[in-house]
Amino acid sequence: MVRQPGDRLTETRRILRKPQFWFGLAVLSPLIIWYVWFAFSPILRAFWMAVVEYKILQPDQSPFVGLRHFRMLFEYNLFWVSIRNTLVYAAVFYAGMVPLALFVSACLTSVTRGRNFYQFVIFLPVVVSLVAISLLFKMLMNPQLGQINQILKSVGIPPSQFLTSHETALYSVIGVDIWKALGFYVVILTAGMLNIPEEMYDAAKVDGAGIWQRFWRVTLPLLGHTLTLVSVLIVMHGLQVFTQVVVMPSQAGGPGNATYVMNLLVYNEAFTNLRFGFATATAFTLFIFVFVITVVQLRILRPSWSY
Amino acid sequence: MKSDNTVTISRYRMATLIEQARFALIHAILLAIAFVSVMPFVWMFFGSFKSYVELTSGESLVPLAWTVDNYRAILFRANFPQAFWNSTIVSLIVTGCVVLTSAAAAYVFAKYRFWGKEQLFIVILSTMMVPFAVVLVPLYVTIADIGLNNKLGGVIVPVLFSTFGIFLMRQFLEGIPSDLIDAGRIDGASEWWIFSRIIIPLSTAPMAALAVFTFLFNWDNFLWPLVVLTSPKSQTLPLVLAGLRSLYWERYDMWAAGSMLTVAPVMLLYAVAQKQFIRGITMTGLKA
Repeated sequence: MVRQPGDRLTETRRILRKPQFWFGLAVLSPLIIWYVWFAFSPILRAFWMAVVEYKILQPDQSPFVGLRHFRMLFEYNLFWVSIRNTLVYAAVFYAGMVPLALFVSACLTSVTRGRNFYQFVIFLPVVVSLVAISLLFKMLMNPQLGQINQILKSVGIPPSQFLTSHETALYSVIGVDIWKALGFYVVILTAGMLNIPEEMYDAAKVDGAGIWQRFWRVTLPLLGHTLTLVSVLIVMHGLQVFTQVVVMPSQAGGPGNATYVMNLLVYNEAFTNLRFGFATATAFTLFIFVFVITVVQLRILRPSWSY
Repeated sequence: MKSDNTVTISRYRMATLIEQARFALIHAILLAIAFVSVMPFVWMFFGSFKSYVELTSGESLVPLAWTVDNYRAILFRANFPQAFWNSTIVSLIVTGCVVLTSAAAAYVFAKYRFWGKEQLFIVILSTMMVPFAVVLVPLYVTIADIGLNNKLGGVIVPVLFSTFGIFLMRQFLEGIPSDLIDAGRIDGASEWWIFSRIIIPLSTAPMAALAVFTFLFNWDNFLWPLVVLTSPKSQTLPLVLAGLRSLYWERYDMWAAGSMLTVAPVMLLYAVAQKQFIRGITMTGLKA
């Protein structure tokens, strides 16, 4: 049968009569407009900004400079400092958070009475404003007056300089972050562990597996997707730290450049030095780190089975 | 024969004893972690009612002489009431809009069939991969172009839609049987009626979780408001709180009081809606 132009017209009429069409249009048109305006075009504009010398007053006149920003970055000492700090931050945060969260979740899964109470309390730091937490620990970590050093002293551990020393500042910030975010990952992991069928553990017990073996041979492999998700989220969290390094040290990124991370470099280049193009180029290098590490993790950790 | 029996019994007793000891140990560990999680807040609460001298001498956890001078100073000198109002406005408007837009968009993406649906959804999802730092400057330029810099609107407009929210709601709505919707259509119900009388009542759980998340995120958000809101009158709570560091240099009593004022509403919300918090996280965690 040959399609007549009239068919298409009736088809269109039929669609237009459908109430779904109008509802869908009413929902999707603002959505598409908003996404183009505030999500897609800023991303595209970021690509453009990274390769031009952005003129704030006359953006149209910005001359094309190609990869010059990236070449400048590679010769910029602070850039390498920020990369080092960001990677150390993410790595230490990961290495501290994953075992701790797994351990606490395993403890939570093995008790029934009081589980909700423990979860309620451990999750508490997650909901509280990051700026308030940063201020709070800035006080607690004061080398002379802070409570933490007084506790350390009372049990005979030498006090630490925490945020005021070059060597310990970054690790102090990481420690606070682990304390704050622990509950978030524990809740996800506990839900994942409770989802593992009880029969798996019974079978392992019959085979004579102890607690330790049950954890390594049953819990960990069967966590699968949940563990992958948590792992990806933890890395993204670590690579994108910002608020703490602004609020906690006496000067953002300090002392010296001890806590100077990539997000802070982007912020400072953009809004202190007003080098928009250079800042965006920095952000792209952060994006590359996030992207590559995430893809690698998904490749390595993605389980090939399900139950 | 008899002695054999007693051996079995005592061995059984040993096993239960070990089991009980293990339980006690696990509870002790969990209690210790719970203690560490909550103790800083207790210190902050009491500290906010101490004078500077008492707070820094650090003798007793509970104040020997209770005072509300810190709160008085913060409320009347540090622009806190304005910031409180700004934060409330921003968080409430954004939460209302995000819940509505996410539910509506998720309904369309889950239950409608149209050309390019999956492609559009994937393009939208892909924006989640991009770190915020990449769009920080271009988004600022966009907001400045429409004259919203240094206005609360500049904080509200870029988060009116939430990719995470659309994703979360779609995951949930796909589980609602389409027969329910078709039955409504056969009975002559309008799409809006189906959405507001069938879809929304069925999805109150994920909507509540999303609402709680969105409120929290906007109440605590720091980086973007720091860029957009520069004048003291338009600043939100986290900005004013961070500003206390220079306004009251090393005045820990003031910091504690300011933190308490910022944290109190969130803690109240958490105490009331604890289930939604936990459920919201587990829902996304298990389905992703």
